[in-house]
Amino acid sequence: MSERPFQPRIIAFCCNWCSYAGADLAGVSRLQMPSNFKVIRVMCSARVAPEWIIKALSSGVDGVMVLGCHIGDCHYISGNHRAAKRFAVLREMLGCVGINPDRLLVDWVSASEGPQFQKIVTNFVERVAVLGPGKAAGEQRAKGTSELNGLTQQAEKRE
Amino acid sequence: MKVSKEVRDIAEEILRQGQVGGVLGLSSEHGHVGPHLFSSTDDLGTLVLEPRYMLAKVCRMILADFPGERLGVVARGCDERALIEMAKLGQVDLSRLDLIGVACSEAQARECACPHPYPRRIDVGEPVQGVAFADTECAQQASEQDLVARQAFWTHAFSRCIKCYGCRNVCPVCICAECSLEDASWVARGKISPEISFHLIRAFHVADKCVGCGACDAACPVDIPLTRLYAQMREKMKEMFGYEIGLDVTNKSPLTTTLEEAPLHGL
Amino acid sequence: MDYRTVLTTCPYCGSGCGMYLPVLNGKLGEPIPAKTHPLSQGRLCIKGWSAHEHVASHDRLTKPLVKTGSGFKETTWDEALDLVVTRLLELRDRHGPDSLAFLVSAKCTNEENYLQQKLARAVFGTNNVDHCARL
Repeated sequence: MSERPFQPRIIAFCCNWCSYAGADLAGVSRLQMPSNFKVIRVMCSARVAPEWIIKALSSGVDGVMVLGCHIGDCHYISGNHRAAKRFAVLREMLGCVGINPDRLLVDWVSASEGPQFQKIVTNFVERVAVLGPGKAAGEQRAKGTSELNGLTQQAEKRE
Repeated sequence: MKVSKEVRDIAEEILRQGQVGGVLGLSSEHGHVGPHLFSSTDDLGTLVLEPRYMLAKVCRMILADFPGERLGVVARGCDERALIEMAKLGQVDLSRLDLIGVACSEAQARECACPHPYPRRIDVGEPVQGVAFADTECAQQASEQDLVARQAFWTHAFSRCIKCYGCRNVCPVCICAECSLEDASWVARGKISPEISFHLIRAFHVADKCVGCGACDAACPVDIPLTRLYAQMREKMKEMFGYEIGLDVTNKSPLTTTLEEAPLHGL
Repeated sequence: MDYRTVLTTCPYCGSGCGMYLPVLNGKLGEPIPAKTHPLSQGRLCIKGWSAHEHVASHDRLTKPLVKTGSGFKETTWDEALDLVVTRLLELRDRHGPDSLAFLVSAKCTNEENYLQQKLARAVFGTNNVDHCARL
């Protein structure tokens, strides 16, 4: 059996009003994209706390995407303004401690942009695959992975 | 020492005027120096200026417990910046404080790599030039190291952590009633050294507030050079938003404002 | 304004780190590590940093409790100590002094710990004395 290439584990935080609907559209349009990511729906990209991303990266996730509405289209007017700035600073901080900032992506997808969602996800998965496993996790990766599987199973059960 | 004498004289003057409930400073007794509230002119003889303690945090507690009263404080540049950041967060009312501004010496400024080693109003001492970020050891290290070297450096530093929470406890801008670092969702309980999330969460939370007082470095029992990380973040805030921490109480953190109020390059 | 700081030693272990305990309006606050202390030099561990918490804790026992069939019952010190004395003597007489062990505490003073081991060795005749920190 040939060695399977590295499959990154990715979490995508999608806002309820735009990017989650965009992801949905990509799904119902049957657009092909890698299946390495799990979507977590949040009400707004500004709801995503830096804790979540840091915890994800330190417990075995290889990349995190935060997707919100386009600037100017935020359901809460300026939520994504805060998200944009917050995660720009977080990216810098990851760089300071030696975690590749490219493991965190902040981008905007509207509810009608299924193909845009497909493009962003495909590019990000490829980019993280090149970066390799997230070393931030170190020896915690094994434990984090089982934790993550548990969470995924719970989520699947609920659905 | 001459400088302490000048501070004592000003404190005496403030106490005589009777406007304040006391003057917060440092007192030397039995060979030990600690924070002390001078409420009468009698004990001012023990007032000293070193070693430095972060008095801003004590100020906040005293002001909260005595709502009607004014307080005098012997304040260095870092104390004042911390008080300004606290005021932005609604934690202190600056109009209730009488600051006795003390400028730090050149040696002290160098020791802390302090960018502003003096408060806005200087009552005692001569202001000296602050240390520019580019001239610090931290900047040099950051520019020399690539991602792999940085990760090795910080992983090694963080692996020494005994999770004493000293950095958080002494920090003048760590004022949340409920701390993320005590939440088992983000930082697992009973694990030493803690996960890297402990340090990253704290670093992010103080990224737009850290005044560079160095209290966390001084309180760390295992010598993790935390201010090196926070100084880099402070510099990034300046580069990205032109935001300087602790200088102007009306200047809100760009992380709490819209893109119109504080634009981000590229958006 | 009532704010005082009291220089003291951390009660938890034998290292003896120096700290100031602030008293604001009669309430005990979080310790401030003493920078001039020759040993700890302005640093504390998690125990020292939390040394004030038990003082005003809701969980703190303020009266002795005696375990009965239906759980713990509040009692007076006289009754509690009488019970301890009777039971300890009973056990010693029935099973010998080495059936007893005496645990002392890092949170007590040296003198209190000394008295406890004296009680164990001289009165009850056992060397079973141990300590939570065992430094």
